Amino acid sequence: MNTDDRRAISREYFSRERLAEHHFRSFNAFLGRGMQEVVDEKATIETDIGDKEGEEPVYVELGDIRVVTPRVREADGSEELLYPQEARLRNITYAAPVFMEMAIIKGGFEEEERVVDQTETKIGRMPVMVGSDKCNISGFSHEELIDIGEDPADPGGYFIVNGSERVLMTSEDLAPNKILAETDTKYGDQIEVAKTFSQRRGYRALVLCERNREGLLEVSFPSVSGSINFVTLVRALGLESDEEIVHRVSDDPEIVKFMLENLEAAEVQTTEGAIEALGKRVAAGQGKNYQLKRANYVIDRYLLPHLHEDGVDEEEVRINKAYYLCRMAEACFELALGRRDADDKDHYANKRLKVSGDLMKDLFRTALNKLARDVKYQLERANMRNRQLSVSTVVRSDVLTERLEHPIATGNWVGGRSGVSQLVDRTDYMGVLSHLRRLRSPLSRSQPHFEARDLHATQWGRICPSETPEGPNCGLVKNFAQAMELSQHVEDEQTLKQELAAMGVEGIPGVESIEQPADD
Amino acid sequence: MSSTTTPTTNCPECDGQLRDAERETVCTECGLVVAEDAIDRGPEWRSFDDDETNPARTGAPLTRSRHDRGLSTEIGRSSRVKGRKRRRLARMRRQHSRAQISSKADRNQVYGFTEIRRIVSALDLPTAIRDRSCVLFESAQSADLLRGRSLEGFAAATVYATCRADSLARTTDEIVAVAKATENELSAAYDALNRELGLPTGPIDPREYLARFASSLSLPSAVERTAREYAQLAHDRNIVSGRNPGGVAAACLYAAATDHDHDLTQRAAADEAGVTPVTLRTTYYDLKDD
Repeated sequence: MNTDDRRAISREYFSRERLAEHHFRSFNAFLGRGMQEVVDEKATIETDIGDKEGEEPVYVELGDIRVVTPRVREADGSEELLYPQEARLRNITYAAPVFMEMAIIKGGFEEEERVVDQTETKIGRMPVMVGSDKCNISGFSHEELIDIGEDPADPGGYFIVNGSERVLMTSEDLAPNKILAETDTKYGDQIEVAKTFSQRRGYRALVLCERNREGLLEVSFPSVSGSINFVTLVRALGLESDEEIVHRVSDDPEIVKFMLENLEAAEVQTTEGAIEALGKRVAAGQGKNYQLKRANYVIDRYLLPHLHEDGVDEEEVRINKAYYLCRMAEACFELALGRRDADDKDHYANKRLKVSGDLMKDLFRTALNKLARDVKYQLERANMRNRQLSVSTVVRSDVLTERLEHPIATGNWVGGRSGVSQLVDRTDYMGVLSHLRRLRSPLSRSQPHFEARDLHATQWGRICPSETPEGPNCGLVKNFAQAMELSQHVEDEQTLKQELAAMGVEGIPGVESIEQPADD
Repeated sequence: MSSTTTPTTNCPECDGQLRDAERETVCTECGLVVAEDAIDRGPEWRSFDDDETNPARTGAPLTRSRHDRGLSTEIGRSSRVKGRKRRRLARMRRQHSRAQISSKADRNQVYGFTEIRRIVSALDLPTAIRDRSCVLFESAQSADLLRGRSLEGFAAATVYATCRADSLARTTDEIVAVAKATENELSAAYDALNRELGLPTGPIDPREYLARFASSLSLPSAVERTAREYAQLAHDRNIVSGRNPGGVAAACLYAAATDHDHDLTQRAAADEAGVTPVTLRTTYYDLKDD
């Protein structure tokens, strides 16, 4: 292929999609779907108003959320569309007002539930990415961009907060909801550990299943100090008999042998006994009732939260958790017997990227929670002072705005990460493009981390092998390859499950399998 | 003459005490500058390293919109503490934030300031207005005007007064729409403020309303410009005094809109200003009378 042909192909390839397309796709998905999902998760804001005698309970129902394009309101009150160049020059934030439908509902005890007030109110301002769907210059032609003061070659993909352009750095994480097995040393011995980062709606829990020195399996998960015996936990989740447990782990004779050892050393034999033992563990020294309640709460809330789904009921979820734990145990044993290699944490199949939309979603979730807490407080106060409850007097828009703008402005994100948002590197055009296509690893810069910094074979075609900084960040800060495309994760599994069920897969939890009509 | 060492003696002229300030050594009695060094020996540039924190540069700026002027501290959160220590810190945090508010006056101030913040952010007013409203609230509180009147009314009235004093007038309707106060509470509070504290507010110029009304009625800027000329005309002919300034503004806009053949009904303009179409019509005829 000669140079001219290659140039033609290159030009055609790069004229299709914008160079920072992953930013746009992620943020547009956040604006279109992500925000509404977060609001639907929250659904209502409860108050303590109905708890006293003679008062009806009051709660707020959250409805549809809507974002318009960025505008600026001057001191004299007039409102105009805001364009990025004006935001840069005037040192204001390129943000758009966010409207949400809220309904205050009173009643439930003596009276019927009735809607006290229902309106769509402005709840704050959301910073908008330059060039995204809700940006005022999206879809502008070359000449229109020049007229409005923008550089037509500017790739966009950054936010403008207080006049400074900020990029949200894409960060690299271990894939959630996957079983990763590795060996570890504890007290000098080698033990096998199976880990899973179970993630659901912003809450990320590390669940460990390890095989200790005596060969017994132990499970550890958040809110429970230390580890719990595997057999006890699996019994508490509903898997009682020895045969079932062994069958669910594996049918391989050697593994069966290990499992029988575990079962012999088991402390409990029934589900009720297991839950009692768990209760004594998580709520030591409290009454029996409270122990049982707390044990159930901990199992449902903190153990493998990703297995909870909307269409599935609670008992099935528990059994699924038991099956999942058995699979983790199987991974441990296979690793011990050498049938399975330890999972490579640097293999790109085990990694996921968090792009700007995902980061904004986490931020929006905490901001909405803070707003909800404030609304609850305002409602209780208004009720105490015997005032008319109305949506417009109960919402404080600066709470949400500040919670969204401040992390982008400073780089300190929820979850304690810092350096997430950076000033766009405007040294030259190539600098801008490189900055937008950068990838950051959360590992600490001061540790050696030899394997993480190495070039891995799976980076072929995805990550540039040569573009990485020298010095302490070497290998931890990476850049996208030229032809790299990022796939998107859609959290709604219902459509996928229904498709699979339609194709004939049986036994999917939450979906009734379609009866195949008889051929005659 | 410049000297880099400070003399330990007394003033050469009057034999008084010497005070050693940053760059000068001055006599406290006769004011003679005994020694000075114009060279600033501090660092040439500031370094903004993330890791290094200079304890002299801490905290948020002072602000009048908080009851403690931004001087209070919070117990921070860290994900590194666990278990019992974390619960202990949570209890301390709760007690610490409760201790910040020491008296009923402080509590009222916090409530008033929160309400002012809410109104200001709902109306998208600049932060200067927020701070000045809070200062006005504080003055009202120390002048004991709050007795017998509602806090919400005062919060709304201070915002109204500050807007008016800055020639950024907002109508009482606009403020009451977002405030917890009712119209009566607002007027009662505003009358008290005006009477006792003597606010620097005069009659409202209709021109202050033109930009806002024009923008929300989506009128082109040419119409707004003509309306401004009409408003000037109204001043010259003395039509303004005694009338609702919102009504005068609406009439100017309506006159300008008809001049430019722009579609605007009397009802729409009157609703925007919160007046009846009759008021608008009278002012309009006065304007057109020539």
